[in-house]
Amino acid sequence: MGMQGDFYQLLKEQGYTLGSSGQAGAGQALTNATTILAFKYRDGVLVAGDRRATAGNMVMYDRTDKVLEIDRHSVMAIAGVPATAYEMVRILEHSFKYYRRTQLQELSFDGKLRAVSKLLKENVSAALAGTGAVVPVFAGFDTEQNSAKIYFYDILGAEFEGVEYAVSGSGSPTIRGILHYLNTWGEQPLHALSQEQAMVQALRLLASAAEFDSATGGVNREASLYPVVKLITGAGVETVPDATLKPLYESQVVRYV
Amino acid sequence: MYEEPYRWVEAVGNRRQYLDDQFKQGSPVVALTYAGGILLTTVSKGTAKLYEIYDRLALGGMGHPTDLEKLRFSLLEMAHVEGFNRSPSDVTGSRLVKYGIAPVIKQAFEEVYKAPFIVRILVAELGVKQEKDSLLTINYDGTFEEATGCAVLAATPDIQTTMLSYLKGQMFATLSLEQALDLGLRGWAIGSLAQQQDEEAQQVEAKPTGSKAGSSSGATPSNETLIAHIRAVAGERTIECAVLDRQTPGSSKYRSLKQADLSQLLPKTLQSVVAG
Repeated sequence: MGMQGDFYQLLKEQGYTLGSSGQAGAGQALTNATTILAFKYRDGVLVAGDRRATAGNMVMYDRTDKVLEIDRHSVMAIAGVPATAYEMVRILEHSFKYYRRTQLQELSFDGKLRAVSKLLKENVSAALAGTGAVVPVFAGFDTEQNSAKIYFYDILGAEFEGVEYAVSGSGSPTIRGILHYLNTWGEQPLHALSQEQAMVQALRLLASAAEFDSATGGVNREASLYPVVKLITGAGVETVPDATLKPLYESQVVRYV
Repeated sequence: MYEEPYRWVEAVGNRRQYLDDQFKQGSPVVALTYAGGILLTTVSKGTAKLYEIYDRLALGGMGHPTDLEKLRFSLLEMAHVEGFNRSPSDVTGSRLVKYGIAPVIKQAFEEVYKAPFIVRILVAELGVKQEKDSLLTINYDGTFEEATGCAVLAATPDIQTTMLSYLKGQMFATLSLEQALDLGLRGWAIGSLAQQQDEEAQQVEAKPTGSKAGSSSGATPSNETLIAHIRAVAGERTIECAVLDRQTPGSSKYRSLKQADLSQLLPKTLQSVVAG
């Protein structure tokens, strides 16, 4: 009997396959999502992402949500091809719920990490063909161990723990250096930041990424367009509303030279 | 031997009798809508009888635990595959019941060579709006009924009617969770007491000298009697409660009430049952 509570297995039995390994259309510009970051702060972990999706030189969309809530205590931030990434998120969301409802207990944090890894491995051929590479950051709060955790992946599905922070996407090289600098020589290490300080740093980091990476969207105040910032603590995932980000951005990020 | 139609009808009749006997010891299940959502409650011994099926769907069951598990799994499977392939809002209780498990239960019941499902099932669905809340019950032969306001599972149709007539007439839409819990548990006690009386009456009947008086007829038991009954049985069993709460953040609305929640929500006369 298939009583393992494995939703992905169930889908496969019904003939479902994730992505196709078709040849990449030569010269075809695929939609991409860029610049996501996660770091631990005093109360938990902050995950943020800009909102731009590009295809080659074209801006596809400026209101993309790349930081997706999978369940009450975990979030997957995506860089790469959104079509595949959204599908993965949908599978994960259903998998975790299915596990909880069939087995009458939460899937462990390690179990969740494995599930992400497994999906990425299934997607390797599409990733290598260039039609569906996804490079996510998975962050969450392990309620059993009462600690925040961050993991990042390569396109083949290898998982790496980001002890203090993790970044992904085309704008990430810029901010990776900044994060290292801040964490090592800043006034205080990242994990000591208060919630407000953490939000300010996230906005500044994304602004820096947008400065040097054309594929990363900045803040558009006319359209009141702010990055997506989510906080994960023991109490669950909380999305920071634009109304909170706006004054922070205006008072502590904008520089009037 | 069942090839002849008459034999088959006879076999199905026997099967009904056999199945009715199986529910005699079961614990009733009560579901009722209240201002904030839907409450399901029962008093179970050992195995749980209330489960989460999908974002807005809950299950209550009576009968054999293994059969209940089998059907619970098929419901979960159908709901999640449908929710993934279409969308979570396309997963509705009535589709799962009418086209999903009710036909399976009916088939198992009528295939007289095979074992039937020893279950009665209740599926509660939280609507986006209160008017859309719905309750479905399925009997062991695959008959299903849709209800609003309240629905129950009980050992016999008679007891079911008794319980429903006790519960009906309430303004379900305005009940608080505390009031719903109080009402639900009293409704449960009505069913449980009626079951006890039926059993005693049968034992009396079995003795040739016994009279037929003292059957399950008579006036509705008083609140004190009902509370006393719950207190009496709750010692060796557990009060099980779950809600589909419209206010719960996120997509999953199901929440089973823990002992700590119960000790705050239960009527004062019952709080000691949980604490102790």
